[in-house]
Amino acid sequence: MRNIGPAAVLAAAVLLAAGCAGSSGTPAATASAPALTLYTSVTQNTVDAVVAGFAAAHPGAKVDVFRATTGSLNARIAADQRSGGLKADVIWGTDPLSMQSYADQHLLRAWPVPNASGVAAAAQARYFWGTRWLYLVLVTARGLNPAPRSWSDLTDPAYRGVVALPDPAAAGSAFAALGYFSQAPGFGLDFYKRLKANGATQVSTVPEVVTAVAQGRAKVGLTLDSEVRSATAKGSPVNLVWPADGAISLYSPIAQVATAPHAAAATAFCEYVLSADAQRRIAQTGWQPILPGIPGPPQPSGATSVSPDWTALFGRQRQLLQQYQAIFGA
Amino acid sequence: MTASAVPARRPGAAAVVLIAALVGLLVVLPLAGLVRVAAGGGLAGIARALAAPQSVRATVHTIALAAVVTALAVPGGAALALGVERQEPRRRRVLRPVVASGLIVPEFVLGFGWTQAYGPAGLTDRLAGIPLPGLYGPAGIVLVLATHAVPLAYLVVTAGLAVRADVDLHRAARASGAGRWAALRTITLPLLRVPLLAASALVFASVVNSFAVPQLLGTPAGFATMSTLVYQDLNLSADPAAFTDLTVVALAMVLLVLVAVAPAEVWLGAVRTRPPNLDPPVPAGSGRLVTAAVWAFATLTVGLPVLAVLLAALTRAPGLASVPANWTLANFADAFAGETGAALARSLWLAAAAALLVPALGGLLAGLRGRLAGRPLAVAVTLSYAVPGSALAVGVAIGYGRWLAGTALIILVAYLAKFWILGYLPVRAALDRLSAEPVRAARVSGAGPATTLATVVLPPLRTALASAAALAFLFAFHELTMSSILYGPGSQTLAVVVLNQRELGNIGTTSALAVVLTVPVCLAAAVLLPRRGRT
Repeated sequence: MRNIGPAAVLAAAVLLAAGCAGSSGTPAATASAPALTLYTSVTQNTVDAVVAGFAAAHPGAKVDVFRATTGSLNARIAADQRSGGLKADVIWGTDPLSMQSYADQHLLRAWPVPNASGVAAAAQARYFWGTRWLYLVLVTARGLNPAPRSWSDLTDPAYRGVVALPDPAAAGSAFAALGYFSQAPGFGLDFYKRLKANGATQVSTVPEVVTAVAQGRAKVGLTLDSEVRSATAKGSPVNLVWPADGAISLYSPIAQVATAPHAAAATAFCEYVLSADAQRRIAQTGWQPILPGIPGPPQPSGATSVSPDWTALFGRQRQLLQQYQAIFGA
Repeated sequence: MTASAVPARRPGAAAVVLIAALVGLLVVLPLAGLVRVAAGGGLAGIARALAAPQSVRATVHTIALAAVVTALAVPGGAALALGVERQEPRRRRVLRPVVASGLIVPEFVLGFGWTQAYGPAGLTDRLAGIPLPGLYGPAGIVLVLATHAVPLAYLVVTAGLAVRADVDLHRAARASGAGRWAALRTITLPLLRVPLLAASALVFASVVNSFAVPQLLGTPAGFATMSTLVYQDLNLSADPAAFTDLTVVALAMVLLVLVAVAPAEVWLGAVRTRPPNLDPPVPAGSGRLVTAAVWAFATLTVGLPVLAVLLAALTRAPGLASVPANWTLANFADAFAGETGAALARSLWLAAAAALLVPALGGLLAGLRGRLAGRPLAVAVTLSYAVPGSALAVGVAIGYGRWLAGTALIILVAYLAKFWILGYLPVRAALDRLSAEPVRAARVSGAGPATTLATVVLPPLRTALASAAALAFLFAFHELTMSSILYGPGSQTLAVVVLNQRELGNIGTTSALAVVLTVPVCLAAAVLLPRRGRT
């Protein structure tokens, strides 16, 4: 037995070398056309459309995209910081909470584009700006009668045991609802206690809420408007209900990295994302553009929206989640 | 000691150094990166992270799950191994892939399939009005993880059986009038101690580490495990405190596995070996019964769930009845839009590299058995398997990011670190049943080390090495978490595509990709497993 050592070692060394040879190298950046690295958690088709538009506007531009879920993106950034520094030029996120944490760690540069007009003050912070709106709305099973009209209807005995909620720990968009209700007068965390008492169940992700309602596991759910629209477009038996007291809105922020190796290209990209062309591409992939002049997906007439006070939520995420889990956890 | 022992000693010492170096590079370096992060909050920070009520709850849940699944899956896998491996070769060839099917299907596909087959509004609910009670919650998690773990235990025990010595003893016992059970209890089980322990260690570590099933079935019930807690903290980990806490929980998972596995490994090191007898196994009498049981098990635990996924992949939109009028291939077309083809090829390439290197690494480490240095090295390898993928990926990125960030090679490093144990355990279990005498005989008769390896050592280890290669291929091909954190431009794996689709929330496309993720492996298994049976 002791004799297998050397031969097997040799074999392993050869194989390891073969493995190295097969791997791809890091592409070299070109000097003239803008080249940058984008870290993002925005859905793939939207990123693809915007990056294609940027390349069209800046011929020869090259954008290396690292797209991952918010959690994986956070892990990547945490790992980067501990192995030679953040490798991104631009970060384009889904919700303002993670972005604010990056700003607090001095990872971001103060907003680099001076003249982007029209972005609502509510979607501007010192280090990052919104690029699109996401709306949390109600999804109902088709034919549900009576259909709920407002958020507070969810605690009505008529919907006992049929309400599905996304896990606020799973994504920032789901957390926005928890953040809003925790602050809103008449709701608070008591609202979640009443939901739990009314038999509401938690599913994991925002899209899964739509699936649960479409398949009949639940009859009403809290989810993103774009998810409902894409399900109905394919023929799923669900309806979108825009709550009378307002959809809960959150904005998807973009920021330039403080230590961006390609600072000029990064600024150009941020600027492009707030251009009419990019905003139209964002609208075409199912989202409400942040610029008011660009038409987004249809909304019912008189639709209103409300949003959490993000500044008050920054840094309170884990505490709120623990309070929520004391209600919905096992 | 015989003549062969003398020239073997010096290269042996070199081998120890080399393996220790490999363990250092692949396992210790990433884990050290994590320890550095975890220690960032100081002792008080570690204590606070561990004593938090949600950490305590998740730890209790994880230990209970791992204990119950191990208690169910290891006897189940061993029973299947004894039942199937004693069949005549033709029947065995058919049954092997059927048993392995639970492992061939990726964990998250299996979990998703169970919800579609047995959950509320699932297949059985729609057809017969019977959903499986408790599917969302600990009972469901145990069932699905056990389905995944039974074939894992089966493969490890089979690897041990392939060079097992019980045939003559078993026959002798039966001829002397021992009943079937007495023979099992007094002859077979004691001989299987090592494979059973190896299987238990692997299943226990697998359950501690498993994420997709607890996330899918536990979250709706508010049932958290350590791995789902790490995932949740990861979502908040833009906040440095949350990131430190998650590494603490990840390292606690390592400790948990250390406590469970290290005693077994130390005890394994003390077990005596027995001379081999490579006779073909005896056909057992109850062939039909075994066949029926295997098919029933596989149909219920894997067949129906996979059918449910296939139906979801074919159906236009969720909530529509899965009848031909609503069928479409559009989900597959969507699934293959963009990068999917290239990513699929890259995943296959990475999995093939893992399938080559993991058995080699496993064989190397197993070759150290009996040496004092072998045991801590083996424990280290088990530990890196226990770290949740997300945390190990961060460790690998910290260790190698400076040089390898964004390349496919960094993903391969993570795969090797994580899956080394899959090569080690089957080979270890098989080696233990292999005696040193034929090796000595070959060396005394003048065979060189290479000839001895090729003609004496490797042939009886073929099943074990093939098991190791198959496991490494499967786990690498299905790996979602680490590659989604480590990939870079031009090194997307299929996992990245699957996760992107899952985020888009399209259940049809996700199901189609789940089918794509499952089918190539099924085909490979259908071709390879029966061929293996001929040896």
